[in-house]
Parts: sequence; structure tokens; C-alpha cells
Amino acid sequence: MPADRIVDGIIDIFRRVLETDGVHADSDFFETGGDSLLATRVLSAIVRDHGTELTIAEFIESPTPSTLAKRIESVTR
Amino acid sequence: MTENHRPAASVAPADPSDVVELFLQAARRHPERAAIIHNEQELSYARLEGLVRGIAGRLGPDCGTVGVLTARSADTIAAFLGVLAAGGAYCPIDPAFPAERKEALVRAAGCRSVIAPDAAEVPLGLPALRLAEPHPTGLPHAPATPWPAVDPEDPAYVLFTSGSTGAPKPVATPRRAIAAAVDSLAGLLDIAPADRVLQFASLNWDTCFEEILPALTRGASLVIDDDAYSASFPRFLRMIERRRVTVLDLPTAFWHEFVNHLTEDRAALPGTVRTVVIGGEAARPARLADWRAVPGADRVRLVNTYGCTETTLVTHAIDLHGPLAVGDTSPTATPAAIPIGHALPHVREHIGEDGELLIGGPSLALGYRGLPQITGERFRAFDQPDVRGWYFRTGDRVRREADGALVHEGRLDDELKIRGIRVSPGEAEAQMCGHPDVAAAVATGTVVGDHTALVGYVLPRPHADPATLAAAVLRHLRERSPRHLVPTRITVVPELPHTASGKVDRARTHQLYAIRNEFKEASRAR
Repeated sequence: MPADRIVDGIIDIFRRVLETDGVHADSDFFETGGDSLLATRVLSAIVRDHGTELTIAEFIESPTPSTLAKRIESVTR
Repeated sequence: MTENHRPAASVAPADPSDVVELFLQAARRHPERAAIIHNEQELSYARLEGLVRGIAGRLGPDCGTVGVLTARSADTIAAFLGVLAAGGAYCPIDPAFPAERKEALVRAAGCRSVIAPDAAEVPLGLPALRLAEPHPTGLPHAPATPWPAVDPEDPAYVLFTSGSTGAPKPVATPRRAIAAAVDSLAGLLDIAPADRVLQFASLNWDTCFEEILPALTRGASLVIDDDAYSASFPRFLRMIERRRVTVLDLPTAFWHEFVNHLTEDRAALPGTVRTVVIGGEAARPARLADWRAVPGADRVRLVNTYGCTETTLVTHAIDLHGPLAVGDTSPTATPAAIPIGHALPHVREHIGEDGELLIGGPSLALGYRGLPQITGERFRAFDQPDVRGWYFRTGDRVRREADGALVHEGRLDDELKIRGIRVSPGEAEAQMCGHPDVAAAVATGTVVGDHTALVGYVLPRPHADPATLAAAVLRHLRERSPRHLVPTRITVVPELPHTASGKVDRARTHQLYAIRNEFKEASRAR
């Protein structure tokens, strides 16, 4: 999957989980109303869409759609 | 402890044994059995007993309240039991808390010493008992000397609950309360040596004792596994199978997400699981309906529980699904409100005026340490034909169903439950007002996904920059406040509405300024 398609997919997941349109590629999940319980939904959705299992620690290190996409790419490559 | 403002609970003839005594009996019966399985490492009952005796021996017979800098490890559990074995009171301290908060807790609890990993800084420079790192079994074994005599009225632990003034309230819980609650709970869950109980709850709150004590007083194994706390359900499910976990005790908000995951992935419950305990906030009927359709759920007990720190662990419980659930448990028969259940054998209950649930019996705490006035407001003596002795006012409104089970109907005050932790909005507001650019603040709860999240509204001081204030206050709180008092979202507002009596109106503030959009309505409808 091309990199920007992964980013778009994650923006979509963030919007769904955070129930807001105000998400872009550099939005920090945990600064946009996200918490550790909503994070489980993001991680489950990423497994479904990209087959990549991330942990909360990895998510906290890469909290935006663009940084998460890089991490997913590096795992799946 | 001088803060015991009430006479001792009447001693019934069949008082349950002290939990340390039960642990030692289990260790004598099954010395080679695994007490704690931490990732790949197994610690036998005999080894754990050695650690406990070592810590108790080093603490000595007159240790008073001992602070413990917690970690998810066998060390912390050994420290807890070691403090109890020495006749002292355990006070967990989250090492992640800001230094100021740690010092405030240690001071309010009256800690005289602290058990800490080797490198950790000790609050207030108190005398430290260093645990040998990294190998937990390196402690010298103390001889099997007689234990110090313990009084069932002695405090066993000091834990904090949210106070409306901004200061946390230390709850002192006596040994007889823990003995009574653990006896009931282990019986309710029918814990046996073959069980493997997951250690999931934070070691800084009392829910962890629901996992630790029923397991270790009955010869079962306690499982600590990094994959349990990864927020990744595929890892969580594999961990359950790998460790052959039989009993899970999950915060209701986490269970909601677990059900969502199982439902969306059409996944089955691992075959080893026989009981899932939930508690901490109201279970959602929609998630219970989903659970009832999960493959494997029919053979698993789903037990809803209710309890307060002041009444020790669990006072009410009910099987919502599985082999012991009563009534129609088909997915389509989910009730509109899910009951918190029936009083456990050790509990006396009374429904007061306003429908408030009052709890009496041996599991009552001694009160709030050093706060006689607040203790007097919440712990009340009754002398009526059917209501006699001391009762704790829970602040929870309940009604009784036809089958006798209680249903939670809300709070008599503004207290919130955020991921199972009680939060007084006043305490969260006081933290926000600690920022120099905040003139006034409101904290309240809002539903996100399937749980309640804390949100904040701040009124800036005249010189403050409203564009950057929200982020600045969040940063300020993350450095100074414990996590459960940090809102997930802060909104800067031009003014705060007041009630007729002149107080800031929290509900109206939230109504006026909450962020709305169409996604909310769509997800609610599910």
C-alpha cells in the first residue's frame, strides 16, 4: 500500500474513534481527546486494515497518522 | 492508629483468618506450586514465602505504615505481603506520580519508611528498604520466627480516594476488613489451586487485591504478563492461551472494548477462561448483549461486581451470564439497566433516604486518616431494630429489583468514575486552577466510545493567551497531577455559567461548550 494511502487510512480510523473531523496527518491522538481505551480501538483497526500488531508503547511513541504510517511501513516492508 | 473514630466491629464467632496466615498455609500445602508467573519466570510459593519473611524480618515488628514504590513485579507483591506479615500497613506509591504528589501521599498516609527499588529516589528522604535488583530471590531468608501479634483492627493498607477540596483522602483499611472481603470473594469466585488469575489492575489501587489475595490465599497462581497491558487485544488473547489464564478481573470500561474487539473480529473466548469479573462502572446493556453472542461465552461466568475503597474490594456481585446466571440470558433478553447484584455474605446493606446505599459489617474501613470531620460525615452509627452499628454512606443511589438485586441509579454528588477510579470534579478543578493563567475551571465527565472521560473547561485570566492556554494547562497537569486527574480534553471558554445559588454550573458548562458533530450521533445509534 502506498505511504499516503496508509496515512489516509489512519486519519479515517482516528476520525471514527475520536468522533471528530478535526484530524490531519500530524494530529496527536492523545492531544485530540484520545485515551488508552480509545487507543485499543485504533490498534484493533490497524490489525484489521494492515495486519500490523502494535502495542500502546509504540503508539505513544508514534501518536500521529504520519508517524504511525511510517511504523507500519517499516514493519510490513 | 489514633484516627480510628469508631469502636471496633463486633466480632462474629466464625471470623475469617488473616490473609497472611492463609497465604502461609497455602505455601505449606503447595510449596512447589507457582505463586507468581511473571512472563517466563515462575516463583514458587516456597520462594515467595522466603521473600515475604525476608522483608518482614528486615522491617521489624513495629514498622507502622510503609510506603512501597510499586512496579508490576513479584517484588511489589512480596513487599505488600511482607508489610502485612510484619504487622504494618501497606501504602502503594505510583513511581510515575510527580514528586510533589508522592510527598503529599507519603505525608498524608504517615509513612515511616519506604520500600523501593535500588535506584529509586525516596519521597521526603524517608528511611529506605532497598529490594535487591534485579534478582528478587536474593533477599536473606529470615528464620521462621513467630510473627508479631496482629490485631484485626490494625490497619493493613492505606489507599487514597479523591477529595472534593483538591487533597486526596487516605482511607485506612483494617486487617479484619480484608479478611472478610477476601473470604467472601474467594468463595464467590470459587478460587482453587488449579486456577491461574491474571494480575491486570494497577498495583496502586485496591482492585489489584481482588486478584492477588483470593489467588495467593487459596494456592492458585497469579499471572503477570507484559502482553496483558499492551492495549493490543490479539496479544491479550494469545497471552491468555499461553499462560492458561482461568480468571480475569477487568475494569468494566476495558471489558467493553474487549467485547467490541471479540465481536468485530468474530473471535472466540480462549478455552482456558472460566470466569470474567468486571467492575468499576456501569456495564452497558449493548455490550452485555454482544458478549452473550461471543462464541464460548456460555460456559464462562461473567460476574458484575460493586464496591468502594471504604467498604473494601467487593460488597455486591451478580452473575450476568454463563452457567450460574439466573433468568433469560439470551442476547435479545438484555435488561435496560444492569444490576450490581446482591450483598456478599459478610455485608450488611441498608437503603437510606434518597435511595442511598449504606454498607455495614466487618469490611468497613477505619475512616479517613487524619480527617475526623469527613470521616464523621460518611461513617454513621445507627441504632434501629434492623439497622444497627456503623455504616458507610456510599453516595450511590440504588433501587431494588423484584429478585432482590440492586441497580445503580446514579450519584448523590458530582463524583465521577473515570476508568474505574473515583474522581471528584472539585479535585480535578483545583489541579487546573494551579496553572497561573487559569482564573476558574470546570471538570466533568463525558461519554466517549463506551466509557466516561474527564473533560475540562478553563476560564483564562485577562493577560493569558486563549489560543495556547489549553495545551499549556494539559502540559502543566501532566507534569504535576496523577493521570486520572488529567482531562483528555481541555476547552478554553469566555465565561462559566452559574447556578441560582451562585456555584459554577458544571452540567450547563458542558452543555454550552461540548464539541459536537454528526459522528457522535452515528456512533450512539449502534
